[in-house]
Amino acid sequence: MTAVAPANPLEMLAYNIALEIVDGQIVYVGTGLPMVGGMLAKKTHAKNITMVYESGGQDPLEGDMPWSVGCPFTFRKSPMSMEMSISFGQCAIGYVDIAFQGGAQIDMYGNVNTSVIGSYENLKSILPGSGGGNDIGSLTQNSVLVGLQTPDRFPAKVDFITTPGYLEGGDTREKAGLLGGPTAVITQVGVYDFDPISKKMRIKGLNPGMTVEIAQACTGFELIVPDEIHYIEAPSDEVLNILRNVVDPRGVFTKMPGM
Amino acid sequence: MSYRFATEEQMNRLVDYKGAREFHLNKDRSKKDKRMSLNEAIAAYVEDGDILAETGFSYVRSPIQSYFEILRQKKKNMVGIGSPMSNCSYLMTFGAVYALHLSYIGVEMRGNDKNFARMIKTNRAELVSLWSHGSMALGFKAAQLGAPFIASKQVLGSDMLKQNPYIKVIDSPVGADNSPVALIPALFPDVCIIHVQKADRYGNAVIEGPAINDIALSAACRKVIITAEKIVPEMTLRENSTGTIPFWYVDAVVELPYGALPGCCPGHYYWSREWWEWLVRIATPTEENCQDFFDNWVFSTKDQFEFIEKLGGIRFINEARRQMEAAQLIIDDSLVDFNYQEVIPKWD
Repeated sequence: MTAVAPANPLEMLAYNIALEIVDGQIVYVGTGLPMVGGMLAKKTHAKNITMVYESGGQDPLEGDMPWSVGCPFTFRKSPMSMEMSISFGQCAIGYVDIAFQGGAQIDMYGNVNTSVIGSYENLKSILPGSGGGNDIGSLTQNSVLVGLQTPDRFPAKVDFITTPGYLEGGDTREKAGLLGGPTAVITQVGVYDFDPISKKMRIKGLNPGMTVEIAQACTGFELIVPDEIHYIEAPSDEVLNILRNVVDPRGVFTKMPGM
Repeated sequence: MSYRFATEEQMNRLVDYKGAREFHLNKDRSKKDKRMSLNEAIAAYVEDGDILAETGFSYVRSPIQSYFEILRQKKKNMVGIGSPMSNCSYLMTFGAVYALHLSYIGVEMRGNDKNFARMIKTNRAELVSLWSHGSMALGFKAAQLGAPFIASKQVLGSDMLKQNPYIKVIDSPVGADNSPVALIPALFPDVCIIHVQKADRYGNAVIEGPAINDIALSAACRKVIITAEKIVPEMTLRENSTGTIPFWYVDAVVELPYGALPGCCPGHYYWSREWWEWLVRIATPTEENCQDFFDNWVFSTKDQFEFIEKLGGIRFINEARRQMEAAQLIIDDSLVDFNYQEVIPKWD
């Protein structure tokens, strides 16, 4: 048997996304790595999850990797589809357990910016806007943020709050009237959660080979470091084989650029 | 609040509940054959200065051939709205749209839209309000329901509220939970074009697959153009009773097979990934490339059939149909290749 190459950073991201998903959950999926993570979870430890999409597809049959959240594979033989307002309504009324969101910036309270770098008055870079991100992040019980971790992308405060995390920490999210909240942040370095009182980002687990120093160096604010650091075990060969051969065989989302 | 391009009247018209009601009251109710050509429908019902609502989902059952006709007819000074609204990328680039009620303009994993960035940075288009998909969807839904507004739990605490003159936050005055809610007004755009799989000649229409916001928009918009893959006898709709858009909402019916190309249409054809790759990676990075690209694909074609010839004609159509059938598991998907030739521009 040939040796299985260790997980690359994108595969590790997908693996950590999968680990956040608990069997039996209803999962609100976006395109890209969250979809890979969701499918990996379904093929490994969480066979009884149901995936729903913002464009309206509900519980599609598995197929080729969707290219967009509106791709026909997101409603492949769906028993039904829902209008967009109703599909998001499911997050509010408690029928969605977990959702994933990416962002150009994520700050220490889990606020996400997908709108603008700089400001609209003083533009450095314009981003696509909220899309469904704000809805998912405002309404879903557990939202998981996914991002590339650098000091620029993880500032103390985002330039623009497109999707609120814990706003200014403490009970400010609850006071704003929002539901649920971010429960995890997944990056190439590891997994973070939020301190239950201050709502500041805290190291939950580090990927193989990562250290607290690396995590801190990739962050634009001071991370909360727990007394004991949990190191995430590398995915097994079996999981990697499923990821590479079944979930994303063409490496659409998990192949490193240039490799 | 003042804007660079959008007029106060355009801003107010979006939430003019009574004005929209008055407009609907004055529409011709007669059940008549409303078929006409795309050229006639766009000329008659899409007017300079209109608030144009995007339908479908970016490249899924979106009336893209109709947007191309809007470009050919050089419509101008419109305000774009929709969730999502990614086709405003080129509508603003060619001057059809000058202001945006923004929910999302982008290409998902393919990144940011460079037309959008350029038009905003050079002040040739402006953002007049910011929304999430769901909050805007609720505004359209409120209009359909006849509700002057809907109270929601999204957009609260977001900086979008600072740049949205329409949404107000209050503590909920009803129910047991008096925490803050966002009041989203009913939204009434002027016009939308909805591409459907089936319609009859009067405008009764059937959407297969996700409807996105289109059922709500058909009720909300003052003017509605239906473009259909197929015009079917009225009795077909009566037998199945699957219609979601009633004829009295509809002003014009256009039989427009392949009207969603180069996007996809569930039940009919898959999209042209190569076309979008070219658009995103080669055309949008510079104005010159974008002009060349649209000169080639839009301004030098007169209709969808000439467009299809450029895509590869019957061979392209056959493959696009097989891909959609495979995606929907009508044929065995292991027989269809979803790989495609990626376009890698040398300056990328």
